[in-house]
Amino acid sequence: MSYLHLKVPPTRDERLKPCNAYGGSMCNLAKGQKTGCLSANGRTFAQATGCQLTLSMAMAASIPNTVVIYHGPVGCGAGSLGLAGQSKLSQLARGNNDAVGRVWMSTNLSESDVVNGSEAKLEAAILEAERRFRPHAIFIGNTCVPAIIGDDIDNVAQKVQPLVNARIIPLHCEGFKTRFVATAYDIVYHGILRYLLSEDPEREPLLKDEAASIAYEQKRKRTVNLLNVGSMGYVDEVELTRLLNAIGLEVNVYPCFTSPEKFVKVKDAALSVSICATHDDYFVEHLKEHYGVPYVLNTIPIGTDNVRLWLLDIADFFGIREQALRVIELEETELRKALEPLLPLFKGKKAFVSTGEIRAGAQACMLENDLGMTVVGIRAHHYDQFGEIVFDNFKDRDDVTINVAANQPFEQVNLFRKLKPDLFLGHGNSNVWAARQGVPVLPIYGPNNSYLGYKGIFEVASRLERILENPEYYRTLGDTAESPYQETWYDQDAYAYIKQTQQVA
Amino acid sequence: MYIEKPRFSCPLGGAMATANALPNTVAVLHASQGCGGNSIGAIMAAAGHMGSGYCGGASVPTSGIGEKQIVFGGVERLQEQLRTTLEVIKAELLILITGCTAEIIGDDVESAVREFTAEDPNRPPLIHASGAGFKGNSYFGYDSVLQSLFRNYLAPADVKKKGTVNIWGLPPALDVFWEGNLVELRRLLEGIGLKVNSFFTKFDTLENIRAAAEAELNIIVSPVNGIEAAKVFKEVHGVDFAVYDLPIGGKATEDFLRSVSKRLNLNQKKVNVFIGTEKNLYYHYFSRISDSYCDLDLQRYAVIVADTTYAIALASFARHELGWVPRLVAVTDPIRDEEKPAIIDRFRDVLPSADTIVAFETDTSRIETRLAERWPRPDGSKYYRPFSPAFVIGSRLDKEFAESIGALHLSVSYPISNRVVLSRGYAGYRGGLLLIEDIMTVVLGNR
Repeated sequence: MSYLHLKVPPTRDERLKPCNAYGGSMCNLAKGQKTGCLSANGRTFAQATGCQLTLSMAMAASIPNTVVIYHGPVGCGAGSLGLAGQSKLSQLARGNNDAVGRVWMSTNLSESDVVNGSEAKLEAAILEAERRFRPHAIFIGNTCVPAIIGDDIDNVAQKVQPLVNARIIPLHCEGFKTRFVATAYDIVYHGILRYLLSEDPEREPLLKDEAASIAYEQKRKRTVNLLNVGSMGYVDEVELTRLLNAIGLEVNVYPCFTSPEKFVKVKDAALSVSICATHDDYFVEHLKEHYGVPYVLNTIPIGTDNVRLWLLDIADFFGIREQALRVIELEETELRKALEPLLPLFKGKKAFVSTGEIRAGAQACMLENDLGMTVVGIRAHHYDQFGEIVFDNFKDRDDVTINVAANQPFEQVNLFRKLKPDLFLGHGNSNVWAARQGVPVLPIYGPNNSYLGYKGIFEVASRLERILENPEYYRTLGDTAESPYQETWYDQDAYAYIKQTQQVA
Repeated sequence: MYIEKPRFSCPLGGAMATANALPNTVAVLHASQGCGGNSIGAIMAAAGHMGSGYCGGASVPTSGIGEKQIVFGGVERLQEQLRTTLEVIKAELLILITGCTAEIIGDDVESAVREFTAEDPNRPPLIHASGAGFKGNSYFGYDSVLQSLFRNYLAPADVKKKGTVNIWGLPPALDVFWEGNLVELRRLLEGIGLKVNSFFTKFDTLENIRAAAEAELNIIVSPVNGIEAAKVFKEVHGVDFAVYDLPIGGKATEDFLRSVSKRLNLNQKKVNVFIGTEKNLYYHYFSRISDSYCDLDLQRYAVIVADTTYAIALASFARHELGWVPRLVAVTDPIRDEEKPAIIDRFRDVLPSADTIVAFETDTSRIETRLAERWPRPDGSKYYRPFSPAFVIGSRLDKEFAESIGALHLSVSYPISNRVVLSRGYAGYRGGLLLIEDIMTVVLGNR
């Protein structure tokens, strides 16, 4: 499926035809996804959500020694303002003592730029970014305005590249181009694939050491690319590395928090290991096609079922299934013992899960199969072909409500009034709307906490136990927070505003 | 010109924060799907964790126009969104905010707004404010909402009510302490006998806001924010305005109250009694730190990094209340060259040698350069005077700079992601005491 010859990769809308608005059973969702008839759905009432620019730039900015330039009006980078501290913490956690956090600039386009074009402003910003920060890479995030007025950012990048040391990487991540924020991952990976994987002749050793080359070659055969995500804690990287080491593999972590000059080694690995197809499918497929690095992409290692599946996929590739099964058995036995005292508290608790597709499915599985809760509802930001494996557990379950929505808290509050869950594991910005209904909340991801691997299961269980021990804060909110939603809205079908066009997109 | 780490968002972000802060008001965005989401982080996590409020955060209704609408027009989608918003959301006032894409494609929003009201007069009022990013920044967005409110929402009032005033100038979120500040300023103005409309506090109602044109005077506590709106107010409703600096602490607050009372010819006896009581109380608490101030020499060199409104207020506070020595005051909001002399003039009232101390600097990493221009970097000589003891009153973005010069730091200007702000305000007498407490708590934090 190579798209690398293109300046602009296709959007998810075109490439995967996902669904972004759905409510009903898993069975119908899976059917609809296969026929493609859900991909044209929309909403006649909609609420604020993210755009691919914000997510692209968050991912790009997680790479140290870079400057990200928002090419647009000044507000397009404003999401960064709340994250200055956290970006630095995430870099510090990975032993980067020189961490400076996120470095961003805005080309600050004005009304006259809309009329006259703004390429000169972008050029000036790139040169200043180089002069001021001497970064390894400069990511340019194109926004709605210059795209509509027809600025050519590739041309600017090409023109200025000879004048700067930093690799200039143009990203076509204009917000209006896609309904699927996850397109951002493809955009940033596209930039990495096109601009960061070529060998730098200056970095070639002057003297080639044959013994070292052989040793490297040997090691390479057991080395995997572990693909992380920007919102992932270092603790999770440590846990997954521990498990991969335990079955005899070496690990390099990409793309977030890894300096741009290290990306060239991504081509040398024996296997790419994804923890999330939504995040990585574009990248691993291209790595395979262009550099012959195969991949595993089936699931996210959350909950024993999916950790097992994830590890065995990797082990099977290397032909070390027996070894992996021994590790799994040992780990699972130890974990079960540790979880045992917590289980009575969780039994029969009704849980509701909401986040990106892959994580949502796997986390719901974990709550039921590892902790003994009852999942009453799952919301996924979107749904596409990669959901099949993680949602397999729920395919015949009519008792589980499935809602596809990126945030859209109005649907969530309606469902909650009816389903009355005891607990919510949700994505940022949607958690508070559950809490305002009195439901205790655990954020379903977070840069400072553990969620993945065996350790993640135990840590999530421990945090849930703590939250359930005293949910008073949430109860107080439920009793006192004002709701902007009409009372009559709760009597309606939660999916009343989903537009089913019935047309195959 | 590019800006590095700009400390503000776009008009849409500013307008959204402003609309969300009005009582029972709901912002509706006619913009790309992500404009709301991008602004949420800037408004919430970066503004002292102020939260979604009534219908903010992920609940903000949004038309989410995409490629199809950009080609074929977005009015139809907007009309649909407005209709459904009424079905789902409770609102007493709707403020439609248009973003870049809607404005570039030229959707006729004004007609859509008129039609919406004409269709059913029982609908809650709907007004429109421009939020296009390329028109300015979030300060503009604040002004844009106020202008629309004054033009389109206020009931005309031919007769003005003596002793009634409106106050504004502190944009919600961009002034992280806006609500606490307004509550205190309200209390003070009420104390000298005025009836006050402050728009954005829990003491304000839409009923009172609608009657705001009855006011005798509009009080703007910022030399830059909301000034255009004040001109519109004057043009439409014939109410004059007076511009003051944001008063923080004993001296500035007394000056503020005396100027206002003079302007409105208030009963001086009543004003004197109120100020007397307040001053008494203020200096009663103010003097508590005095033993430690003297024993430990708590005077500091001050660096202030803030927008115009706060920079003047904090420079005055540092010099006249704390008795500190400001060496650099960096003004971080974009100020046009022709406006700079007037702002420097205002600084002259509060700072000796304002011309050499004040710098206009929007770029975060350049604040350090601005200090180096004013205080030489170490030159290795035995009697080099270090810039110490020093304190940076700035935003979260200035924490690393403070650390790099060995200074302590408190986030007071936007963005503030490392503090929680609920009801706190720094304006007035009460606010002045809180600011002394907060700054001195940092100074003495390791004891």
